[in-house]
This record gives sequence, structure tokens and C-alpha cells, in this order.
Amino acid sequence: MFTSTSKKKSVQSIVFLLFRIMSYSVVAILFLIIGFIVMRGIGVISWDFLTKAPEDGMTKGGIFPAIVGTLYLVLGSMLVAFPIGVMSGIYITEYATNKQFVRVVRVMTNNLGGIPSIVFGLFGMSLFVHTLKFGDSLIAGSLTLGLLALPLIIRVTEEALKSIPDVYRHGSLALGATKLQTIIRVILPAAFPNIMTGLILSIGRVSGETAPILFTAAAYFLPHLPSSMFDQVMALPYHLYVIATSGTDLEATRPMAYGTALVLIVIVLVMNVLANLLRKRR
Amino acid sequence: MKINAKNVNFYYGDFHALKNISMDIEPNTVTAFIGPSGCGKSTFLRLFNRMNDLIDGIRLEGECLVGGQNIYDKSVSVDELRKAVGMVFQKPNPFPKSIFENVAYGLRVNGVKDKKIIAETVEKSLHQAALWDEVKDKLKKSAFELSGGQQQRLCIARALAISPSIILMDEPASALDPISTSKIEELIFELKKVYTVVIVTHNMQQAARVSDKTGFFMLGELIEFNDTKKIFLNPDVEQTQNYITGRFG
Amino acid sequence: MFNKKKNRFLETLIEWIFRFSGSITTLVILLISIFLFTEGWGLFHSSTIEKGYVLCVNQENKVANLSPKQVKEIYDGNITNWKEVGGSDAPIEILRMDDIASLYTEEEIGSNFEHLPAKLSEAMVQRKNAIGFFPQQFIGKDFKGRILPPETISPSEYFGGKEWFPTATPAAQFGVLPLILGTLWVSIGAILLALPFGMAVSIYLAEIAGNRVRKILKPLIELLAGIPSVVYGFFGLVVIVPFIRNLFNLPVGETALAGSIVLAIMALPTIITVAEDAMRTTPVAMKESSLALGATHWQTIYRVVIPYASSGIMAAIVLGIGRAVGETMAVLMVTGNAAVIPHSFTDPVRTIPATIAAELGETAIGSAQYQALFMLGAILFLLTLVLSIWAEIIRKDPKVQ
Repeated sequence: MFTSTSKKKSVQSIVFLLFRIMSYSVVAILFLIIGFIVMRGIGVISWDFLTKAPEDGMTKGGIFPAIVGTLYLVLGSMLVAFPIGVMSGIYITEYATNKQFVRVVRVMTNNLGGIPSIVFGLFGMSLFVHTLKFGDSLIAGSLTLGLLALPLIIRVTEEALKSIPDVYRHGSLALGATKLQTIIRVILPAAFPNIMTGLILSIGRVSGETAPILFTAAAYFLPHLPSSMFDQVMALPYHLYVIATSGTDLEATRPMAYGTALVLIVIVLVMNVLANLLRKRR
Repeated sequence: MKINAKNVNFYYGDFHALKNISMDIEPNTVTAFIGPSGCGKSTFLRLFNRMNDLIDGIRLEGECLVGGQNIYDKSVSVDELRKAVGMVFQKPNPFPKSIFENVAYGLRVNGVKDKKIIAETVEKSLHQAALWDEVKDKLKKSAFELSGGQQQRLCIARALAISPSIILMDEPASALDPISTSKIEELIFELKKVYTVVIVTHNMQQAARVSDKTGFFMLGELIEFNDTKKIFLNPDVEQTQNYITGRFG
Repeated sequence: MFNKKKNRFLETLIEWIFRFSGSITTLVILLISIFLFTEGWGLFHSSTIEKGYVLCVNQENKVANLSPKQVKEIYDGNITNWKEVGGSDAPIEILRMDDIASLYTEEEIGSNFEHLPAKLSEAMVQRKNAIGFFPQQFIGKDFKGRILPPETISPSEYFGGKEWFPTATPAAQFGVLPLILGTLWVSIGAILLALPFGMAVSIYLAEIAGNRVRKILKPLIELLAGIPSVVYGFFGLVVIVPFIRNLFNLPVGETALAGSIVLAIMALPTIITVAEDAMRTTPVAMKESSLALGATHWQTIYRVVIPYASSGIMAAIVLGIGRAVGETMAVLMVTGNAAVIPHSFTDPVRTIPATIAAELGETAIGSAQYQALFMLGAILFLLTLVLSIWAEIIRKDPKVQ
């Protein structure tokens, strides 16, 4: 009596099958992109590729200056964004009592997260490069990328702090600890692993950004490594952009482009896996 | 240290949570607060270490004195007050740190740096909380490895470490099994010698067992405050009688 | 007894630092809008005539001024009579420096151009219907022609202009319509492509997939959001662009369609995450009562879950559009960047962000083009701000239908 003879059921199984296929095809796109870059790029990766500067109009040599430049930019931007972002998250969750203020800040943080990276590039150029006269430099690029990373760090910090139960706060305050002592000695250590996921995810994000550094930091080619904060730098994503689109001999630079793309993908993958591992440890 | 409340009225926003309460608590006694849920007994307890300050939109009228000083005076530093008035919470709430660090925490935040003093105080506090023998070999282990009852005694040791004069206990045994509960009760009895203890409890037998005086709260009012024996054998007020004998609540 | 002992100064100072950090995002948004708009607004006050050059006419010419558009039309030969620009009925005679060189001999001009100012003046006096475009340095004090006032561009010309030609002489063209339309074409195309997949995946994750499958798929889809846009651009360039060229048999594969495909992939994670979250908030009781009435799981999904989550799904679409509109590098690399109003998805197009990225590096600071690009940035900023606030509003209020 209860066997499903109706058409309803068969419609359902067809629709569900379709959805399943579409879902797996989205994942397949991911594997297609990663797989393609890995297949084409893996042969290019060598010790020389990772440790030498580009040669012969970017057709030979390696990407060492770009790796170092990206490393510097990541380091610089995190030095700016991580402390400010974490402090901002602390203020919103632990201090702010004015609900209206918290709402405004939250909306603004969301909005900042939605602003296109090229707009950050324009802003960074106008403020850091011209108004503050840093010129195209490591510091201008780091500051611009730092601003871009802020919303992510703030959001993750907020969530990490909110997941710490109030009993810890009360327990500490009842022992005569001040609010700041409570935050530094109890709340932050407990929230630390989750806050770190924010740091790691923003490192992944920042290392792949091109538009914000186009006019603030990136150099097409530099024969030597930057020696001060006010030097221009090469950077992996920008390097990939220029060798993919504007070489004199695009066919000859293709292998270098695949190699660079692979290095970028590996950085992002490693950061994502790290962040997931940290998150699971709770 | 004695505690006095004079005509205390307390509001959560518009809600009148405590109505004109006055009470005097003598040093080195155990005082129990009983009453149905939501009667205000916990709120009243939390007035004395100002834990209610953490809630938005509260208002207090009247005076709360600890050791003769109005603790809601502007000159009072809340963290100094809380150093003198320790608190044990309903659920054990050790920090995600080692057993040793949990007890040492209060010392560290109060600026004690001498390692020897810290180690001595930790040991002494754990002894006082009757926990030393159970944890002396695993002081570096996480506090979460202890059982619920042990965690609660750890929290008591943590409160004792900063040598308070008063200990407030907010239903300290409600989340524990009977054996752990009786251990905590024995402990309260011991603590009376050195500290003034105020305990909020749901459990009337517990109040009868551990306290010298008992206050019965209902709907934000202090219905009766009397010697514990008197409250449980022959209360002055009929409402108390009804509650004790289980006619409501 | 309980009086203050600890050092409060430090606590207060640190709290103020926290408070400042808490306002940082608000401050940054404020600064971005100030900087973008002040740089951008200058466009409407600066000349579009190439720096160091002037436009001039005969003293008796009744035309008081010419818009950049009119100048361009005149020099392109599309406007040939003064009456078309409000003057008397007479054909326009265009004088460039080359024409001057052919009108006068080298001796007349002088070996060091010492007589050139006088000759330019003479030429403009003799030719009643001429318009001249000369270097400023050769316009003498006793120049007898009438120099036209510097050509500024009006906001309506900027927003309504159909030609983006920032390096054109004599007058640069800053019409952003093709760029706005290009951005819209690419973004809307992307959403149309992404939507069916986004819906299917979010329904699958929220309703159909088991917990184990979901736990594997979700991080993978989030990973899709982590891939740098320049890598997407590169992938698009070496895989999607040639594919489209061969498929449609086009001269070039860099088209709006290529941009839409790449953007669709990039917008998918946003759409899926937001829509799935919305579907998950459907109360179990609602679903159960539908199932109890004999509805199948699928009927429950499209009659209960989707209507309930519709505001969240809308928000997902809006956020997806926001993501697509602002994307720069990937689009720059695959759309061909022709600043013309698109007519088909197989045309090359140029978006606002791609224009900024492609041109800003080559402009002089403070030039009209520089300002026009900042104005584009300001438009983009406003557009994405409106989209994210809009998404916020519809997401917050589940009753909005």
C-alpha cells in the first residue's frame, strides 16, 4: 500500500540526481583548475626556479625575487593588520557596550570586506604613495594589503572570542583580575588557535592579491632584492600577471607562468589546510 | 569581615529584582540563602562582589557594606574588592590552564612574582580545599582532566589562594554528585574558621547542614532571616514554614 | 580598604587603543570615500585638452566654447559646419601644426621657429572659419586669434558619454557608459551562469547530502574562493579563451563570455555559502509538517525551504553580483578590454575595474585621465557599498519577499 508508485517520487530522484551531479561538477572545476596548473607547472619547479632571478626577458631563470617580495608583503601587511584587527575584535566583543556602535562597526567591517581590491589599490596609491610620499614601495603595498586583510581578521577574532564561555570571564574577574588582565591571561590564550586561523587565512588571501599592489608596490623586474621599506618589490601574483599577458615572447614565458601559478596555488592550499587543521583542534 | 545591606533595592531595567532588603552578616559564620528560582537570592549574593556590574541596565538603591565600607562608593576599586570577596560559581569553571596555574592565577594578576611564595600558596590553598592529595602529582596537567567535584574544589582553592575574607558560593554543589557534594559541605564547615561564607543553595537540607543563619527569599523580598535552626524548626513567618515544608516552590 | 591601588593609567590607555582599533574599519571606509571622491571630482574642473596645447578660433567666430565631445567630432570630421555647434553657417577649417607647416615656408617660420607665433596669429586672423590646435609655447602675447576656454567635462557627459578615449587629441573622451555596460554585461552573465549551479549546490549541501559528504564538499568549495584571482585569470587565458575562440570560431577568444565564465566560478563560493546558510535556518518543524502532509522531500524543498530562505537567496545573489562587479585581475586578463558598448557576449568588453588596472599605471598624477580613473574607483566603491548594504538589509529581514 505504501510503495511509491507516484510520479512525485521519480521526479524527486531525477532532480536530486541532477543536483548531485551539479555539485560534484563544481568540485570538479576546482580539481580541474588545480590539476591543470599542477600538471603544467610541476615540470618547471626546480631548485633553480625557486632560488634564481628571472633571466632573458623572463623566459629563463626563476622567481626568487618575487617569492621574497611576496614574503615581505605578507609579513608587512600582517604586522599592520593582525594587531589592529585582533584589538578591534577585542574591543567589539569585550569592551563595547553601546549596541548601536557595535552595529555600525559590524556593518562597516562587512562593507570594507566587500570593497573590491582595486579600490584598495587606488586608495593606497592616493594616501600612501602620494599623500604620505612613501612612493611605490614595500611599505605602501604592505599598508594597502593590511587594510584589505582587516575585515577577515576582525571577523575571525570576534567569532573566536565569542566562542569563549562567559564563565571564564566571570571566574577571572571574581579573583580580582582587571578586565585587561582577564583578556590577556585567560580569554586570548583560550581563543588563540581560532584567532590563528584568521591570520593564516589572511596570509593566503594577501599573498594572492594583485590589484592592491599594482600601483603601490609591485615592480615588473628588479635585478636585486629590496633593501629597505621604501624599495619597490616584485611579487608572485603580479609576476604571474605580467608574464602571462605582456611578455615579448608569450610562448617562451608560458612555462615560467605555469610554475609561478603553481607556487601561488601551493601557498593558498597550504594555508587553507593549516587553517582547517587548527580549527578542528578545538 | 562583616557584611551589611541597608535598604537595598535593585533593578534590571524595569524589573524590580530586590525589594528593600536589609541584612547583617557576622564574620566567621556561614549564611545560607534559600528560596524558589528567580527569587533574587543569587542577585543579592552577587551584589557583594559587584558581579552584577557586568550586566547592562542595572540600578541599585541603598547601601552594601563590606567590612564597614560602602562598596558602591566611587573610590572603591572593583578588583580590590573582589580580591577580598572571593566567589565560587554554580558550575565549576576552571580556566583552560594547568591545575597549578589555575590556583596561581589570582596571585599572578595581583602582582605576586616570587615563585616560592606562589608555589607555597598554591599548595596551602589546595590543602585547604582538601584537594592536595588528589592532585599533587599532576599539578602540570590540565584542570579539565579532573572530575566535576575536583574541579569545583579547585575553583575553591583558586578563590582561597588570594586570601579573601569572604567567600561567596553560588549553588556550588548543584552540578555535582552526592559524594562530591558532601565533600564540599565538609569543606564549607572547615572554611568557617577563617572566612565568612555566604552560600546560595537550592537544596534546603544543605542549608540546614552547613549554615549558621539562613535567609529565605521570595519574589525579590527577604521574607525571613534567622538562625538556621529556628528557620527549619520554627520559623517566624508562615510563608517560610510553607516553603520549608514543601507546600510551594 | 578597597581603594584603587593598581596602575589605572595603563589600563585606560590600552582601552583607548582598543577603542581606536574598533573604529578602524569605519575610519578606513570614510578615508577611502574622501580620497576617491576628492581625486575623482577634480575631473569636472580640469581641462581635457592635452596639456600644453590650446584650441583657438577667429576673433569673429560666435562660438563661445566647445565641449570635448564637439571637439572630437570636429577633428574626426563628423562635424563640418560651425552651425552644428551654434555658430554661423560656414564650413569648419581645421588647422593642425602640420597644416601650418604646409601653409608657410621654412624661412617664413624661421629656423628656430622664431616667427611661428606671428604666423599662427596671422593664420587665425586670415581664416574666419578656422579652428586651430597649437602648442601653448608658440602662442605669443600679441596672438590675434581667440583662445577657447579650457574644455572641462560635465558629470552628465561623463556618465552619459559613449566614448572612452582617454588619450585622444585634441580632446580626451571620458564617457563611462561603455565601461559601466561592460561591467554589467560581464557580471550579469556571470550570475546567470552561476545561479543554477549555486542553487543546486546549496540545496544539495543543505538538504540532500549526508553529513559526511557535506564535510568534504564544503571546505573544497571554500577553497575555490581562496584561489587568487590572477590564477583564475591565467587559467581563463590559457584554457577558456582558446576554447571560446574555437567554439564560436571567433578572431579572438577574449570576450564578455570568457569573463562571465571565470567570474561565475569565482562568485560561486559566495553564493553557495550564503544561500546554504539561509536554507539551514528553515525551522525543522516547518519541514516536518510539510513531510507529514505527504509531500515528498523535493516538494518540501521547493515549497517550504526555498520560499523560507528566499531573502537569504536574494542576498546571496546580490553579494555574488558585488563580488563579480569588483573583480579586477581575472577580468582584465580574459575580456579583451575593448572600450566599446558591447552588443553580444562574444564581443570583447572592458569593465570598470579592468580599466583602472590597465590605465592608472600610465597616467600622470593629477591629469584628467588620472582623475577620471579615480572617479571610476569612486563609482565602483559606491556600487559595491550599495550592494553589500542591500544584501545586509534583505538578509536581516526574513519577511522581505
